[in-house]
Order: sequence, then C-alpha cells, then structure tokens
Amino acid sequence: MKRLAEVLRDWEAVIGLEVHTELTTLETKMFCNCKNTHDDPPNANVCPVCLGMPGALPVPNRAAIQSIVMAGLATNCQIMRHSMFYRKHYFYPDMAKNYQTTQGPVAFCMHGHLDLEVSGEGAAERPAWEDVAADGETPVSRERDGSYVAPIRILRIHMEEDAAKMVHVGGEEGRITAATESLIDYNRCGTPLIELVTEPDLRTPEEARLFMEKLQQTFRTLGISDCSLESGSMRCDGNVSLRRRGETRLGTKTEMKNINSFKSLHDALEYEICRQAEVLEEGGIVYQETRHWEPSRRRTVVMRVKETADDYRLFPDPDLAPFDLTDDFIEEAREKIPELPDAKRDRYMAELGLKRADAAQLAADPNVAAFFEEALEGAPAKVAATIANVMVNLVPSFGALTPAQVASIAGLLAEDAVTFAQAREVLAAVDGTEKDPEAVVDERGLRQTNDVSALEPIVDEVLERCGAAHPKAGGVG
Amino acid sequence: MANIDQLSAARIAAGVAAGKFSATEVARASLDAIESRDPQVRAFLQVSADLALAAAAETDRRRAAGEALGPLAGVPVAFKDNMHLVGTRTTCASRMLENYESTFTATCVQRMLDAGATPMGKANMDEFAFGSSTESSAFHRTNNPWDTERVPGGSSGGSAAAVAAGEVTVSLGSDTGGSIRQPASLCGVVGMKPTYGAVSRYGVVAFGSSLDQVGPFGRSVEDVALAMNALTAVGRDPYDSTSQPCAVDFLEHLEDPVEGMRVGVVPALMDAAGLTEEVRTAVGGAARALEDAGAQLVEVDLPNITSAIAAYYVIAPCEAFSNLARFDGVRYGYREEGCLTLAEQTSRSRAHGFGEEAKRRQMLGAYLLSSGVYDTYYYPAQQVRTLITQDYRRAYEQCDVILMPATPRTAFRFGEISDPTQMYASDMFTISNNIAGNGGISVPLGLGAESRLPVSVQLQGPAFSDRKLLRFARAVERAAGAQGVVAPGFAGKGGEL
Amino acid sequence: MALSREDVAGIADYARIALTDGELDEMTIYMNEAVDLLEPIRQYDLDGVDPTFHPIGDLSNVMGEDIVDDSARALPIDAALSNADSTRDRYFRVPSILGTDEDEGGIA
Repeated sequence: MKRLAEVLRDWEAVIGLEVHTELTTLETKMFCNCKNTHDDPPNANVCPVCLGMPGALPVPNRAAIQSIVMAGLATNCQIMRHSMFYRKHYFYPDMAKNYQTTQGPVAFCMHGHLDLEVSGEGAAERPAWEDVAADGETPVSRERDGSYVAPIRILRIHMEEDAAKMVHVGGEEGRITAATESLIDYNRCGTPLIELVTEPDLRTPEEARLFMEKLQQTFRTLGISDCSLESGSMRCDGNVSLRRRGETRLGTKTEMKNINSFKSLHDALEYEICRQAEVLEEGGIVYQETRHWEPSRRRTVVMRVKETADDYRLFPDPDLAPFDLTDDFIEEAREKIPELPDAKRDRYMAELGLKRADAAQLAADPNVAAFFEEALEGAPAKVAATIANVMVNLVPSFGALTPAQVASIAGLLAEDAVTFAQAREVLAAVDGTEKDPEAVVDERGLRQTNDVSALEPIVDEVLERCGAAHPKAGGVG
Repeated sequence: MANIDQLSAARIAAGVAAGKFSATEVARASLDAIESRDPQVRAFLQVSADLALAAAAETDRRRAAGEALGPLAGVPVAFKDNMHLVGTRTTCASRMLENYESTFTATCVQRMLDAGATPMGKANMDEFAFGSSTESSAFHRTNNPWDTERVPGGSSGGSAAAVAAGEVTVSLGSDTGGSIRQPASLCGVVGMKPTYGAVSRYGVVAFGSSLDQVGPFGRSVEDVALAMNALTAVGRDPYDSTSQPCAVDFLEHLEDPVEGMRVGVVPALMDAAGLTEEVRTAVGGAARALEDAGAQLVEVDLPNITSAIAAYYVIAPCEAFSNLARFDGVRYGYREEGCLTLAEQTSRSRAHGFGEEAKRRQMLGAYLLSSGVYDTYYYPAQQVRTLITQDYRRAYEQCDVILMPATPRTAFRFGEISDPTQMYASDMFTISNNIAGNGGISVPLGLGAESRLPVSVQLQGPAFSDRKLLRFARAVERAAGAQGVVAPGFAGKGGEL
Repeated sequence: MALSREDVAGIADYARIALTDGELDEMTIYMNEAVDLLEPIRQYDLDGVDPTFHPIGDLSNVMGEDIVDDSARALPIDAALSNADSTRDRYFRVPSILGTDEDEGGIA
C-alpha cells in the first residue's frame, strides 16, 4: 500500500466523526434514579426502568439535559428550544426495551463548530492547497510554518441512553466470533449519553485526532464526563470516503469501529484511507460497510456490509413530554460553563504574553490550567512567562510537583539564579516532597552569581570550546 | 347482616371505621363471594387471598390502634392483570408473562392500597389489552354475569364482571380505546376513563402509551368517585412523565343539580350505522332525563370523529409494537428452549409467547412505522388526532359534557364476532375520547328493551373536567335508578357479611 | 398498495415473530384488511395541521432530579434476575448472536 502522504496528494479524504460521550459525572442514569456507575458487580445498579420491565416509565434526568445544553453552548451550537425524545427500534438485548430512547430530527444542539489548530508534523498531512492541482475544497489559510486553522462544523449533539455491556463467552478474545453464549450486564444500560455528529469536514487522520482531543478537553472542562477513550466513556466512530482531488461528489464511505485511543483513531483512518486508495486505484469498488480496527494487527477488517439503510422505526416517544427549553434553563446552563480552553488560551496570550502554542498547551487540560494558575498566584508578573516555560518544558517530566514549587523554581530561573539544567535537577530532588526548590538550591550551593567579573573567565572558556566544536555556528545560539 | 354485594364502598369504609364489621370480615365475605360465584363468571386470573387477609388485618390493626383509616378502608378491590402488585403474578393474560412475578407495585394499585383497599386479586383481560371481549385471554374466557353465554366486553372484562357479579366492590381497569367503558356498559356497571394524565400509568403494562388510561369500575357513581379520589389525591406521580396534578375532591358537588348546564348531543352519532334500536332508545331516554333535571340539550358536531377508528388503528398498533418489543424472553417472559442463536430464540419466543391478536397488532405497527409508510399513515394520523381534538374543543364551547352511546349494542355471544376488523367497531363510540385524551364515563341505564341485557350511556367531557363528568353521571344514575345492581344470577350467592 | 406475502414475511422477520406458512397467509389477509380500514387517513388534506403526539396540552419540560433513590426502586440482584429464564452468576444469558446481522455492541 502507498503511504498516507502519497495517497493524499491524489485523493482527498472526507472524514466525519460520531462521538458518544457518557455523562460520567452525573449521579444517576438518564431516565431513572439508578446509580450511574459501571464499576459495581454485574446488574447491581438496575431498576424496573433501566431493565425495561413491563410497565416501567422513563423520567428524564434534568442534570443530563443541562449537561448537553452546556456541551452545545461550548461547541457553538444553536440550542433548539423545541425537541422531543424518539424511540429507535432495534432488536438486540443490550437495549432492555429493544428500542433506544434518543432524539429525532431535532436534537437539543444543532449546527455548531469547533476550530482546529493544526501545526507541526501533523499539519503536513493536509497538502497545502496550492500544492494540489484543482483542489475543489475551500483552502484553509496557512501560516508560514505550515500550521493552519480548520473550522469543523458540528451537525448536532443529541441526548440518548447507553446500552448494556455484553460479554461474549467461549469465543476468541471475548469477541462474537465463535462465542457460544453472551452474558448481559445492565449496569451501563440507561447511562446518559450524548452523541455528537460532525459534518464531513475533516480531511486528515491528524485533524480527526485533534478534533477528538479538543472535544475531550472541552467536555472535561465542562465537567460533564471523564471522557476516557480507554474505558469507553468516550467512543468514536470514524466515517471516511475518498474522492479524487477536485471531485465534488462524495465517494462511498466506510465506518470504523473499536477505536479506543487517539492513536487508534489516527492509525485506523490512515490505514483505511490507504486501503481505499489501493482498492480504487486497482479499479475496485469500496463497499459501504462497518469495519473493525484491530490495533494489534494494525488493520481494519469488515464487520458488516450495509446493503440497505437500517429502518429503526423512529417515532416520538409518547411516554416523554416534549421539551420547550426556557431562557432561564439555557442561561442557568451557560452560567455553569467555566472558561473554555480557547478562551483561556487567548487570555494567556493577551494577559501574560505567552506564545500561542504554549498558551494552547496550558489551556487545553483543565487540570494543567488550574495548576498553572495556582503557580501564577502571588508570583510577580514578569515571572509569568517563565512559569509557563517551566510548565511546558519541565513539569511534564515529573509526577508530583506542587504549584508553589513551580513558582519558586521559575522565580530563580527568571533572575538567572539557576540554569535550566540545574532547575531540572532541583525539581527532581523536590518532586513528591514538600521541599522548597529555593532551599535545595541554597543547600547545594547552586545559586548562580550575577557578578560579571567572576563570570567572565568561565564565559570565555565556554565560548572558546563552543567555537571549536561548532565552527560554523555563528551569532547567538 | 348483609351481603357484601349490597354494600357500597363508602358504606364498607364507614362500617369498618365504625367497627360495625372488621376489614377481615369484609375480606372473608368477598373471598366467599368469589368462591361461590367466580367458577361461573371466571373474572379472576388469580385470587390473592393471603395479600387480602394481610391487608385487611393491617386495616383492623390500624383501627384498633386508633390510627387514621383511608377512605377505602376494607373495600375489596380487583386489579386488571396488567397492573403490578408485588406478591402477585402480572400476566396480561398472556403465555408470554404466565410466570411473571411483579417486581414492583404500580402507582395506581399502591394508591388504592394506601387508601385502605383490600387487594382481592388480578382480573382477566384480553391479552395485553388487545380486544373488546376478553376472548383473547390466553387462559380462559370470562362470562358476562348477566348472561354467561355472552362476553363481558373487554379488554378489562374481568374487572367489569367481578364488580357486576358482586365479587368485589370496586376494580381498576385500563382504557386504551374503550376498554373500561365498553365492558362496563356490557356488564351494567359504572366505568370511568379519566382524562389522560390524571391517573399514573407507572406499573401498568403499556399497550398504547399515548392512549392508555387507568380508571375505576363500581356499581355506583359514588364508588367510582371515591376510587378517583384515592387514585389522584396524592398529586401527580413523579415516575410518570405524562402524569398531571388532578387533586380535587370528586365527591364534592357529586349530588349538585345539573340544572342550567348544557349537554351536547351529536346527531350523526345517534344515527350511526350499527347502533341498535334499543341502545338508541335508552340513550335518548337518558338525554331526556337530564333535560327533565333542568339541563339544556344542544346539538354539537364532531365532524372528524368518523376518522377516529382509522387514526386509532394507526396510532395504537404502532405504540403497541414498540411497547411489546421488549418481550424477547431474555430478562423475563416466555423463552423458547433449545435455540442455537439469539435471533432464533427471540423470534420463536415471541411467536409462541404471544397470541394471535397480539401478533397481528405488532405486525401492523411494525409495518406502519417503517420508513415511507410512516409518512403515509402515522404522521397524518397524528394530524387527524389534532383535528379530532379541535372538534371536541369547539364542541365544549357550546356544552359542558357530550352524551352518546357507550357501545353500539349489548353483550354479544362468544365467537359471534370472529373477524378482528369487525371487532374493532365495538369501540366506535369510545375511541375518539382516547384520541383526544379527554375523560369519559359509562353509566348503566337498566336493561335493553329487546335483549334484556345491560345498556349504558356514555358521557364525555373536556380534559380535566372529570369532576363535572361524575356529577352528570350521578344525575343520569339518579334518573335511571340503576344504582348498585348486581347481576341477578349472582346476587346474594355467598358473601354474607 | 396491497401487501404481498413476501412483504409480510419481511415485516415478521423484522418484528422477530416467527410465522408458519399458514400463519403467514392469514397474516397477509389481515394486514391488507387492516390497512384498508385506515383509508380515511389518506383522504385528508392536512396541510398546516400540526400532529398531536402527546395528548397532554401544554405540558413540557418534565424532568426529574439527579438523585440516587436506591431505597425506592433499585432491584436487588435476586429480584432483577428473578423473572429471567436463563442466567449465569449475576448475568442474564442469551445464546450466541451468530446468525444475526447485528453489529457487535448494538446501536449506541
């Protein structure tokens, strides 16, 4: 198979994502008051409602509706005042009622977008539009370093309930193949779940990966989910099709399942794009099918061919009153939204003068941002950039530093009292302790002097040695 | 002293409270009446003697301890077998649920128990409430106490027959297209379908979720009003999203005159094809009786009501298909042994667990909801529902209640109507009220001139005017003098108190 | 738009109701009769008429609080499994799903 870069010169990959996120931070399930946790023994958190017992009726969880409105506002969606729950029928025992309660044509949140900042190596996956002949798409604007911002539209975010967990027994690796029976645990059944569907605006595996990362950061900042791809509280299906550069019609898409890490998402799409290109270039046909990503073999295999569209017999759920969300309800949700990563990044740039990349990195993870802001507290303004520098370049190497330790070492760095290398050494010594880095510096006598006359001979010596080793290196390093 | 079948709910509750008799004595009398009469009537699928005696003992203990007694203290009550009551099976008269043990108690049942009622057992019904004769019960037929060769109506046939035979004082049924009012009419008892949302549906096995409503049967309007109080006084049920507050005292104003109020009559309905002469005559008589009582008769029009059956047979099967999809033999219900694959197990369990009509309705629903067909039938049927609702709203600008037959004819013989689509016409006068979500009540008028079988009139009212409906029902009852009549073949058989 | 025997067989397959040949014949007759009964619905001009999916007037935004009420409704494991015909340990049990065309893991 050709490599991705090669394929993407001739072919445009059209990628859309469907992202399911469990609202793990809620106390109870979507339509009943069972405990919203999957860690308990099988079928420990079940009641007549989530077991689909005859006669049971659903009542929507107010906090779940508030959470999805927050998710919609945070992703620039229009919050739809009027919407309803629908029943989506599908005979499979992981849905206790054999239908899933979900939303219909109108979701709580519609027509949003997130802007992706793509930089570094990943940016090279999307060929610069001027490098691609007759590219039909709107070019994204590129910075000189190749980085660009891609606006990714969100079609909708709707509210639904998660399915039960099935364990397939007797087969290979717990998969369906060769299983003789399946066991069902309904603890997860009825977990509040939001499904976000993007427009097919993504063009590279890297963009898909970045989108998922950004979504994870956003939802984590909102505090609505732990968003773990590994544990499955955030799940992603990727749809991809190829078309010749310049072509406007969409090709046949395949759907990728079993993606449980950002790397899997990237690699599965990369594999699938290359596979489809090979099929098409050999004159073959891409079938509309669901494919399973096998991380160990680094390939996708076909799970199911979709010959016709599924007919889910969708109709408005008569057991659930319609929604006409009020201004008050929406405002209440808006007020609960903390500062989001993009806004935080912009603030760090404007207030602290940080570089965009550093600001974005610190703002992305709410825990990192909170740590950073605690370190900033009480530190002189001129030290802010150094604290950021320490946060970006040093902190990730350590496990248990405190904000005060970071502020302390940054203060020493800012006044050139220690070198960067020494700072690393000192942080290693205080990591996991309550010790103040400044005390360690003094203990070890590491404090640098600013007496120029004392330094001159050393500087001369260093410069001489550098000049010898790198004769061509001129100017400042 | 007296036979249990001669006592109203109010008199039983008052007697228990006053110590004239104990709740246990009442429960034993009811059990005795059931034992003597039910072999011929077969209204019950299960008699819950242990639960009844335990509940009665608790009522007696409360009285002895000087604790407050509920308004239904000691009143023997039967529940349609689609209502959960812990300690009983809830079968919906289906093989599918033959061994289903209730895991929780329905709100409507609990509220009756909280009011002091004694649970005598679970009443027969058409399987999953699909039917108008109780003939589709998977277990046995129920006989009309007025003529045991005839059907009691349905789907709440067991609930109606148990009250008509004097086995219990009050019962609960559910009404999706007439399933309370039609059997009440055929069995000569009062049966009320309250406004949709007035009584909780939580714990009642769903048939058509936007149509189903629980309501009481009694031998008098007062007993029905008393039961309505028990069902609604606590307020809306937080477990039912469609439940609405409806807490008024239904006994208040029950005896008020209807003088000066307006009764709507729909001329087209009084000339409907299939309406027998004796029913037409009796219903006309009821209208004149209200007029004599000072009410004013006004002609109103419900132009779209002729499409109600069509709208109903779109909406109800679709909701039924969806509601019954959960019966796959996995978590509960009939499971076919020896199937190698899940699909086979599901299809065979459903094929053999469900009876014919249950399968027919689900098949129809599965078809009507399929893509493309949905837009041809389902969506337009819900639009027609809007038209019917608007018809009623306009009509109620001119009148307080509308009077019409409850059923086109009196009780028919077993097997007489075998074509399912003909059976659907039994509900021609009741269905539109479920479509609109309004309240309705059927009130006995005595026996038909020809058939010598019970004939009833139906009163319908605007949403949440159930108290006014009961007041009119009481006025009809007063005029007809038909209060509290037990079917003659069973009156006084066992059940001495 | 009469429904053919094949149409009805397809619906039965979807609705997971195994029908014998004889039952399929009867069901086909019934389905066509029932659909004929619905004809009045197709005769309407319903432009501009809103549907009524919920006969509950203006009732909307019905929600419950995010509070665990395990004392009230949660089922102990014995009760949860009590009506199931086939269980193993704390699980509900079903035969192999092979032979169906479902995705692994259902629809969510």
